[in-house]
Amino acid sequence: MKNLSSLDRVIHEPARLTLVALLSSVKSADFLFLLKESELTKGNLSVHLTRLEEAGYVEAEKTFRGKIPHTEYRLTPKGKSAFEQYRKSLGSIFNK
Amino acid sequence: MNLQIDTTIKRTRAYWFVDGFTEMATGGFFILLAGILLLRWNTSLTSSPSRFLSIAGEISIAKFFGFLIIVLVLWWLKDRFTYPRTGFVRGNRITTAQILILIRNIVLFLLLPILGLLALSLMIASAGSVLSSMPVWFPIGVALIWAVLCIWAGNWMGLRRFQIIGALFLLAGIKVGIWQYVMGLPASPENMQAGILQLATVDILYRSLTSLGLLVLIAGVILILSGFVTFLRYRKENPTPYSEDV
Repeated sequence: MKNLSSLDRVIHEPARLTLVALLSSVKSADFLFLLKESELTKGNLSVHLTRLEEAGYVEAEKTFRGKIPHTEYRLTPKGKSAFEQYRKSLGSIFNK
Repeated sequence: MNLQIDTTIKRTRAYWFVDGFTEMATGGFFILLAGILLLRWNTSLTSSPSRFLSIAGEISIAKFFGFLIIVLVLWWLKDRFTYPRTGFVRGNRITTAQILILIRNIVLFLLLPILGLLALSLMIASAGSVLSSMPVWFPIGVALIWAVLCIWAGNWMGLRRFQIIGALFLLAGIKVGIWQYVMGLPASPENMQAGILQLATVDILYRSLTSLGLLVLIAGVILILSGFVTFLRYRKENPTPYSEDV
């Protein structure tokens, strides 16, 4: 039970877990990529990304590609470490 | 749950290959190299050692410029076709430590076993017979290396088609090797001396290069077909660029 309660609740939510997992193996990805891969609605995706930003796990960088505004998201070192910790915790729960 | 996370991570890793452009470009590059290997040998009129040097030089130039052109063309295509449809991803920079681990693994698990097999065959058979059978084992060895790399990459990215491509490469290598064997092995060079290139050795090198050229050609065709099928599927799933209004 102690192990279960130690799980990071920000990451534990399935949609946010998918987003963090998607960002974990790349340097950064844009909104469209996350939208397509997570299969969330635009509104939902925005909410979850904001939640991850507030937790300091994800940072957004707004740039322009030509004249079109472009937002890229990346995992912060804190987010990477939290994700690794989450996977370890998850592994230890199932191994016991 | 961890399995699902792994699948998601692998899907992101495979994103570079989602549209089939990379395979088609690499396949085209392979066919160019095969063209140099197979055609230039027959059209060149200079003496044999010069021919080898000339072909080696052309291959180096083709590799350098081919790689450069492939990268530029891929960026251009992805920027106009893939990124507007399914989004942009900036890959992780590969660290020196990762490159060293990769090189270590290739040497330990691929090159050393192959060299070991070669050394073992030299202990069993004479150097001349090992050399004369080079047109048979050389394409099989090269295909084996490609197959292992493709299957490993397919596993790393969760791409089944890469594992199939790896298996097809190996089959192609074996097929070319068998074909060379059926044609009859070239004569074994006698009393080999350092610095002296015998006619028999030149024949062996020619046959080996032909084998390699055929293997590269088949591999190129396999890659282009695989890339084209992937491209068609991608285009069917994503017919138009993503629009904010949708």
